[in-house]
Amino acid sequence: MSEATIECSGLRRVFDDGLALDSLDLEVRPGTVLALLGPNGAGKTTTVRLLNGILRPTAGWSRVLGLDPERQGHELRHRTGVLTENAGLDDRLTARENLASVARLRGMDTVAAGSRVTELLEQFGMTSHADQRCQGFSTGQRRRIALARALISDPEVLFLDEPTSGLDPAATEEVVDLIDSLAKERGRTVVLCTHFLGEATRVADQMAILNRGRLLVSGSPERLAAELWPDVELRIELSAPADQAALDTLRRVDGVIGAVSTPAGAIVTMSRRERIPAAIGAVVGSGAQVFSAVPVERTLSDVYFAYEERLDPVHRGLRAADAPHLEAEAERVPA
Amino acid sequence: MTATLERERWRPDRAVIAAIVAKDFTAIRRSKAIVLPMLLVPGLLLIALPGGIAMFARSRPAPDLSTLLSNLPHAIAAPLLAVAPSQRLLLLVNGYLLAPLFLVVPLMVSAVIAADAFAGEKERRTLESLLHLPVRDQDLYVAKLLVAFVPSVLLSWAGFVLFAIVSNSIGWPVMHRVFVPTLPWAVLILWVTPAVASLGLGIMVRISARASNTQEANQLGGAVIMPLIILAVGQATGLLLLSPGMVIGVGAVIWLLGLWLIRGGMKRFDRDRIASRL
Repeated sequence: MSEATIECSGLRRVFDDGLALDSLDLEVRPGTVLALLGPNGAGKTTTVRLLNGILRPTAGWSRVLGLDPERQGHELRHRTGVLTENAGLDDRLTARENLASVARLRGMDTVAAGSRVTELLEQFGMTSHADQRCQGFSTGQRRRIALARALISDPEVLFLDEPTSGLDPAATEEVVDLIDSLAKERGRTVVLCTHFLGEATRVADQMAILNRGRLLVSGSPERLAAELWPDVELRIELSAPADQAALDTLRRVDGVIGAVSTPAGAIVTMSRRERIPAAIGAVVGSGAQVFSAVPVERTLSDVYFAYEERLDPVHRGLRAADAPHLEAEAERVPA
Repeated sequence: MTATLERERWRPDRAVIAAIVAKDFTAIRRSKAIVLPMLLVPGLLLIALPGGIAMFARSRPAPDLSTLLSNLPHAIAAPLLAVAPSQRLLLLVNGYLLAPLFLVVPLMVSAVIAADAFAGEKERRTLESLLHLPVRDQDLYVAKLLVAFVPSVLLSWAGFVLFAIVSNSIGWPVMHRVFVPTLPWAVLILWVTPAVASLGLGIMVRISARASNTQEANQLGGAVIMPLIILAVGQATGLLLLSPGMVIGVGAVIWLLGLWLIRGGMKRFDRDRIASRL
């Protein structure tokens, strides 16, 4: 029996107007935040709809919380919460009414629904707007209410599509912290569809990049970065650009592959992280003043752009037909 | 397959249906685009028009209807010829000719609300979040039907009560008695009107689920509902000439047709199909 909260294999969906998702294989463990990344039309929303059982797959299978979304969608949706790309609030209802109606639909009685709604309105700073109709709300306010709605039944799995879109920096920070605590402290599994790589970098334990319905790559950002950049880069800050003598000294250190001068010092490429102290020692030994030495950490964002640069000519404004070499390169990228 | 499996064990979830109905009633109540036609048209047709006729009948000398009555079917002409000439206009118009309006109103009101049921949700971009909730397809469908059915029937019944009050009170100096409702009227209102509403809904909810916005739903629905309205206008007065038993029979046929359409629509209603068009 798999321990994965979400797993799917060969998941495929074809609409009348074409392929939306093809051969998706994923495994997401409990308490994990999965960043589902990709340009518009990549298949992120279709993935969420399939995993929450509102669409049926054309082929393949999936399990969420051990349930088959296709056959047990109703049971599954009792245990999931979804924030759709559009807030999906009824403008004619107040914030409280929007939340209360969903609480009732999720099986809460009037009293429980009322207290949960009040609690969430407070948590999302919307108490003073609780009894106003959503019609006049800003994008950020709508987003908060929609996020509160997704959390109303304290779901075990959360599908969040652009949760911070339209939020100001402080609110964004709060939402990112909330996602992090839901996963880390409360063991909730979160699928985060986003274009904001910064927030994904902060919270995601796992990333999956989709492009035109196909999964390009998935895994932890650290593992994917290690595959993309097997060498370690060390940024050394000196009092002046490294001179030739210093560069030669560095290149003689065992494990150092290369060293180049930069305006602030030097960047050293080495095969193993363990050789960092030796490289620093060599620079110090050469008489140079070392202010800092920082290994370059590759983030989810770097990984995304590395793949995006190589694999998505459409997203970069090129037509696939104009860049056949990029298509060919796509086939060679490790999955 | 999913739909089949879930349908086999479907039992209406009253709490869920009630929650959707309550939410939609609140939203509809605040929607001028729905409330205004819902109140204005019945107000004009069921209250202002019969009230005006009654006012006319009591304030002017009785018009000579003999030529008209001689051209009417005997079943209508006979009771009119049996009353005083001053009472004939009011009895003819308010007692017979306005009957079709009580079939037009539920058709129209149910069509207006039903058009909003799914197409309106799509237009407001609220449908996807609704589909992501633990609401069974059938519960959602039934709730959306009720949201349109209940107001259309209640409005028709309330309109009829007001029609009767207005007609009898304003027309009292002319008629000197309560002349509506009669037994055929009561059967028409209590039995045939809801049947007609169910027929309109059977058509409109299907159309609404397929249309991408309310305007499209109204346009498509209008093309189907309009012939029904014409049929209603043409035949309703005739219903009042039938025996109550016959009217019940006609109502039963309309009910069966409406329920057949609703059942078919529910069978075909499928989350996947709706979500595919979002």
